[in-house]
Amino acid sequence: MSRKSLDRKISRRKFLGTTAASGTALAAMGSGLSRVAFADSHTIRIGFLAPLTGPVAAWGKPGLDGCLIWADWVNAKGGVNIGGQSYNIEFVGYDNEYDAAKARTGATKLIKEDGVKFVMMLGGDTWPGVQKIAEREGMLFSTLLPSDLSPDSTTLVAPCEVHPIYNVTGVEWLAENKPELKTAAMCAQDDALGKPSVATYLAAFEAAGIEMQDEPLFFDPATTDFAPVMTKLLAGNPDILCLDTCYADYVHPLCEQAFQQGYKGQIISCTADFYQKIIEKTSAEFMEGFIFQFPDFDDPALNSEGVNFVNPNEFYAEYAKRYGASEWGAVSWEYASIMDLWADAAGKAGSAEPAAVLEAMKAGGTGKHAFGTADWWGTELFGIDNALVGNWPVVAIEGGKATIKEFRSIPAWWDKHKDLMVKHMTALGQMWNQRG
Amino acid sequence: MDLLWQTAVNATYAASYMALIAVGLVMIFGVMGVINFAHGELYMVGAYCVVFLYAQENFPFLLAVAAGLVFVGIVGIVMERTMFRPLRDNPLGGLIASIGFLLILQTLVVFGFGRRMGHVPPSTHGKIEFFGAVLTYQRLFVIVAAILLLAALWAFLRRSKFGRALRACAQDTEAASLQGISMNQTARIAMFIGAGLAGVAGALTAPLVSPTPYIGHSIIVTAFIIIIVGGVGSLEGAVIAAVLYAFVHTFVTTFFDGVIANIVGLALMLSVLVVRPTGLFGARERA
Repeated sequence: MSRKSLDRKISRRKFLGTTAASGTALAAMGSGLSRVAFADSHTIRIGFLAPLTGPVAAWGKPGLDGCLIWADWVNAKGGVNIGGQSYNIEFVGYDNEYDAAKARTGATKLIKEDGVKFVMMLGGDTWPGVQKIAEREGMLFSTLLPSDLSPDSTTLVAPCEVHPIYNVTGVEWLAENKPELKTAAMCAQDDALGKPSVATYLAAFEAAGIEMQDEPLFFDPATTDFAPVMTKLLAGNPDILCLDTCYADYVHPLCEQAFQQGYKGQIISCTADFYQKIIEKTSAEFMEGFIFQFPDFDDPALNSEGVNFVNPNEFYAEYAKRYGASEWGAVSWEYASIMDLWADAAGKAGSAEPAAVLEAMKAGGTGKHAFGTADWWGTELFGIDNALVGNWPVVAIEGGKATIKEFRSIPAWWDKHKDLMVKHMTALGQMWNQRG
Repeated sequence: MDLLWQTAVNATYAASYMALIAVGLVMIFGVMGVINFAHGELYMVGAYCVVFLYAQENFPFLLAVAAGLVFVGIVGIVMERTMFRPLRDNPLGGLIASIGFLLILQTLVVFGFGRRMGHVPPSTHGKIEFFGAVLTYQRLFVIVAAILLLAALWAFLRRSKFGRALRACAQDTEAASLQGISMNQTARIAMFIGAGLAGVAGALTAPLVSPTPYIGHSIIVTAFIIIIVGGVGSLEGAVIAAVLYAFVHTFVTTFFDGVIANIVGLALMLSVLVVRPTGLFGARERA
């Protein structure tokens, strides 16, 4: 294009007009940008510090997936109202690979760089890496494993899952409904998740009058071939095969081995994540009656009065739509449920600051647990009342589908048998004052 | 169920896949002098070949296993050409490069298949029972395949020209070169066979384990214990050590527990090192 033609097309007036319009547009854009920046300052960041990779990822990644649904739903409704102001929620994930050192790095990053107001963790072996930071920073942390609790860590709460204490409900239900089962054999990985769960099952079996055939069999978490483990467990042909709190990577091959080695008795386990895949590897008949503790959230029993989780069936449907129903696992709803508690507490406190939220969360000594109103509890077992304990469901696989059989009270069991629990926890060095 | 027989069956299966992995590792070390830390990840890639071809794309199981062998063998050739050949005079460099490569393989599998375990349904639910013990066809495949592949490897090394070239390079690289044996070609063949054996072990066992991108970690530790016990560089030693380790580990797991079994396995390695530092067959015979 020649200069002459340019001159012809762009007159001075046109140039000024165009410039003015551009300036106005830029100003509008600028104000738009400032609005975005303003809105961004009304976003609260929540840390998600859990294993997203590795063998324990099944208890981290599905939880983050569930939280993303929770955030989308809450943000779509205008966010969380805190002190008369609406705040959007943004999750910042950090993969600690279930490693204490990486958890420490992640906690530092989340608090110092990302400015989170609350950090959710799986806990277990990773908590010791974070404990000092939590104490120093006064940051509010949550764990799914209340065995992490101690009086030294006042800002750590277990507001959803009271692992492994709820496992007593499954054994208690079995003893009441299948009294013919008299003997049990148990295995667990040798780590911070396996041991307290073993102590819990031992207490529950003893309370139910079920005899252990042998000492619990601990295996190395690096185990890939579970045939020898299962051979030993089945040697005495137990009525009940207890898989403790084995990770999904272990539950699947253990069940497959039990099936292949001809076991026909009752199986009980803390979890049965992705149980449809276990059925594929074994059979629906073999898995029929399998008892565990984590329902699918499309279960109609979750719509009953007293259940506090918001829209459980819709949540499950959305999860299945986004990630696939077979990806639903034990923790898919748990971290989201903790966020319900956090949002409620932050709203009551009128602040997202950790100390204020914690105080509001524990006010009155009770809280709205996902499965009903529950008590802040734990001094006798953890040295501090920072675990929210109430009812927990007992779930059985029936016709290839997880089905809630009953909600049972953990405190009711505790009132009757707490001495047994303390005895077995102490024997395995799992009381709060025994852990290093 | 007869506990003793069942434990022996379990140990035989474990010995089979461990022997495949360890012999592959020994092949690579014997010919090239490289400690391949990515060997466990080659096993993992073999398992994921079955996850993809058999579990996801519904190809026949045995075809997926064969593809696993060939594909991982080719990955081995790529490793030889891109890492181990340029670093041939630098064994430490080869080791470090293999550590980097294992991270690359892990990451690629995470990108392709996700971080969670892969699900591989069994190709058959069939099983045989004898003396009160149960042996599933899936495990029988592993045992039979290991015996056939190791026998074929033995025949290849003893009877074929390439096999003799491999053994010559393993014994004395310079002398072999002076006889006109191509080091590049020999290393390529060794890497294909070594990696392929790890790959086929992963492929065969994929329905029996929970494959994850990180499964190679536990495999490589066991493989190193076996080749140290057997004598680094000895194929026969690797096979016998795999059998020995598998039986000791399996019996101790069954009659005591898995944690004690690991301690006993390491104690076995230390005992062999103290009594015979070259391993059971290290001094007498090399590949």
